[in-house]
Amino acid sequence: MLTGKCTTVLMSLMLTLGASPLPAATDMAMTSAPSDGKVLVSDPTQVLMIVNRDSNEIAFMDLKSKQMVGRTFLGNNVNPHMVMMSPDGRYVVTGGTRANKAFIIDARTLQLVKTIPVDMAPEHLAFSPDSRWYYQGNPDGDSISVIDMNSLTKVKTIAGLAEPLNVTFLPDGSKAYVGNYGAHWVGVIDAKRHELLKRIQIAPAQSRSGLDPERYLGEIKGINIAALTNDGRYLYAADSDLGLVGVIDTREDKLVTTIRVGADPWRVYMSHDGKYAITPNNGDETISIIDVQKNQVAATLDAGPDMTGVNYAAGKAFVISSTSGFIYVYDMQTLKPAGRMKIGTNVQIETATTDAGDSTLYLADSTENAVVIIDAKTQSIEKIRNVGQYPWGTHVMDSKDNYCH
Amino acid sequence: MARVQALEARLKQLESEKSSTSSPTMQNSESVSQALLNRLEALDQRLADLEANAVLSEPETRVKQKEVWIDKGGNEYDEPKPGTKQVLTYQRERVFRRQTISEKVEEALADSDAKKVTLGVDASSITQGVFQTSGDTSEADGQTYQLASADLLFAARLAQYTTFFADVVGLSGTTPDTEVQGLTLLNGYSARLVEQNELDLREASIRTELFNQRLALTFGRLDLTNFFDRNAAANDETTQFLSDALVNNPLLGLSSNGSGIAAVYDAKNGVNFRLGFQQSDTDAKNLSDSLFTLAEVGYLARPFSLPEGNYRVWYRRDNTDTQNDAFGLSFDQKLNPGLTAFARYGNGKGDGGRDRFYSAGLEFEYGWVFNPLDTWGVGLATIDLATDQKEDLAELYYNFHLAEKLRISLNLQYITESSPGLRDSSFLLTGLRLQASF
Repeated sequence: MLTGKCTTVLMSLMLTLGASPLPAATDMAMTSAPSDGKVLVSDPTQVLMIVNRDSNEIAFMDLKSKQMVGRTFLGNNVNPHMVMMSPDGRYVVTGGTRANKAFIIDARTLQLVKTIPVDMAPEHLAFSPDSRWYYQGNPDGDSISVIDMNSLTKVKTIAGLAEPLNVTFLPDGSKAYVGNYGAHWVGVIDAKRHELLKRIQIAPAQSRSGLDPERYLGEIKGINIAALTNDGRYLYAADSDLGLVGVIDTREDKLVTTIRVGADPWRVYMSHDGKYAITPNNGDETISIIDVQKNQVAATLDAGPDMTGVNYAAGKAFVISSTSGFIYVYDMQTLKPAGRMKIGTNVQIETATTDAGDSTLYLADSTENAVVIIDAKTQSIEKIRNVGQYPWGTHVMDSKDNYCH
Repeated sequence: MARVQALEARLKQLESEKSSTSSPTMQNSESVSQALLNRLEALDQRLADLEANAVLSEPETRVKQKEVWIDKGGNEYDEPKPGTKQVLTYQRERVFRRQTISEKVEEALADSDAKKVTLGVDASSITQGVFQTSGDTSEADGQTYQLASADLLFAARLAQYTTFFADVVGLSGTTPDTEVQGLTLLNGYSARLVEQNELDLREASIRTELFNQRLALTFGRLDLTNFFDRNAAANDETTQFLSDALVNNPLLGLSSNGSGIAAVYDAKNGVNFRLGFQQSDTDAKNLSDSLFTLAEVGYLARPFSLPEGNYRVWYRRDNTDTQNDAFGLSFDQKLNPGLTAFARYGNGKGDGGRDRFYSAGLEFEYGWVFNPLDTWGVGLATIDLATDQKEDLAELYYNFHLAEKLRISLNLQYITESSPGLRDSSFLLTGLRLQASF
């Protein structure tokens, strides 16, 4: 409340002075502060966005030169969580988890153009395919804030959700599906009217759950995301508590089948060719590779602890084991292990994005304040250090592996 | 709040100054504007400070590992310079992360837990009833046996990639094995444990990982069956088959746990190599007595586009008086997500010839069970010794997963023992196994 009030007073003063609204991000210490009107990013597809959680900024790195082209400071204690560029390449947005605000950045000048109050603890977000709507999930507010990217205003708050973690739009933009980590259902949203239409349950709690009250009442780990098949026909949603993946038909919005996977699956990651889906199972430190045609597990393979993401490139799957500092590699042709890459000792690695050409991964290494560039073919790594404090995630426009944790 | 009110008052003052100086000359207006902008900048900085400090928690700090360069004089640099060398150091870093009290509490608890010795308990009670179906009447016919077992498991982190593990087991009660007198144990809980009705140190070892954590070395008092002849469907007497012949290959030859070392090389590419040495004689006088050497190669395969399967081949040699050797195979292959087939084969030097062992079976899970996490299995095993003694065993079990920490199993075993000069004797055993682990 203090922050909001003071900002309002300052803005009113600036308007009185007749000055154009300066970005709130005026960090005098930064070396590449966005300057008024100057185009810093001419091709939005060629820039890597890095969310620096503890330096409260979005950093931008040129993919070719690997040089930082700018940083947009969001404000102290904002703690941004996930970054995404609008499909039309005009804006970069992020939710400030500790500021309860959404931040909109001009993708060319890297200036912060709008700060919009949303609900509590905004984290993951999604754009409608036409770039019109920015859905900001607020897990602690059990809601989604709907932001109109034409007027840059919040038009609605969709309530009635339970710790919404991720939103998936259909390719035609008609509906959006919400993974509720605080429940065992997927929410279906009418993306024209921005209303919760339906709740699709993956499975009831096990019949013997009454014998395990501590497990089921102590903490709930429901559905992280509903991941879409390439044709947009089906959604695959993993339920962590139940160890199941539910398959949802998007035409009829009904559950088609469930697939048993390993213990405590984190979420589903679709392969780029649409043949397989992988769940990292943190309960038993395995991955389940699901054959999407047959809707059954094709292989269950050993992996590592605390897995936070899966990226696909060069015919392989790269599974991030956050606390071990390893990436586990799997050959997606043979569905067999293909080695393990050590990123560092005593490091925590977060999530990665794959470039649009499916050849390079950009991994956030929060301990070393670095982005690790991984050549997917040779499995060689290069560390770009000092990208900002506590890089939490990365994003590349048009990547098929843009996700957060 | 007082600071905010003061800030608002100053801003109002600035606004009034601006309105009162808006008329005269352009030059005057510009200088006033510049003064206002300077003032605004100062206020902006104060606002940033206010944002930074108006946090309920203390300023967040984190100790980070840093690579720096030092010269001979001990001067530290962030970048390499002539005459410097790279060293690791640690430094506190202040960050602007607003954390809630619950996050702070969780962090403190997690940190505390990480430094503790972890304690686990695995307790079981196995009740078995024996009915003799053929052969000379034995003492076991019509008898009931019960064995209680409690394992206390200790684990602690000692250093980087180095952990300590100990398993203290207490067994109390009786098993059918003393009266059935088969070639293998009908209750695998007592395998490789000599004493009953007292505490026994099953394992106490230190494990460390080398070469980018590809090589794991474990040394101390070991049970090498945890490292060799493993099987996904038939390797755990607490949740799978109860008969020892369906837990491990008897031709591994390990009669008791003992001092040893195990090395596992696993590059996580589907192939792994194992080498182990272990003493397996409780009466041994020194470390070279009754020393068993085992080697194994494991391979993960997906034949015929089936799900994953594990294929292992091992070789064993010992330095006992008889200089025995043996080799064996252990396969487990998933046929579909709910069905796993397994098989074992062993061939070892025996009295006057070769001993042979075969086992095979199926494990059923999701889709073939009453409740999602239940499992059941059926297995057959035969051991055929060079002395013409033979044992055939069949077992069926169903494991009910009642709760996260509680399981109950029903077992049915059928065993036939053959010895030269004696009538074959057969026994049917019913079993109930209660298991709690936490």
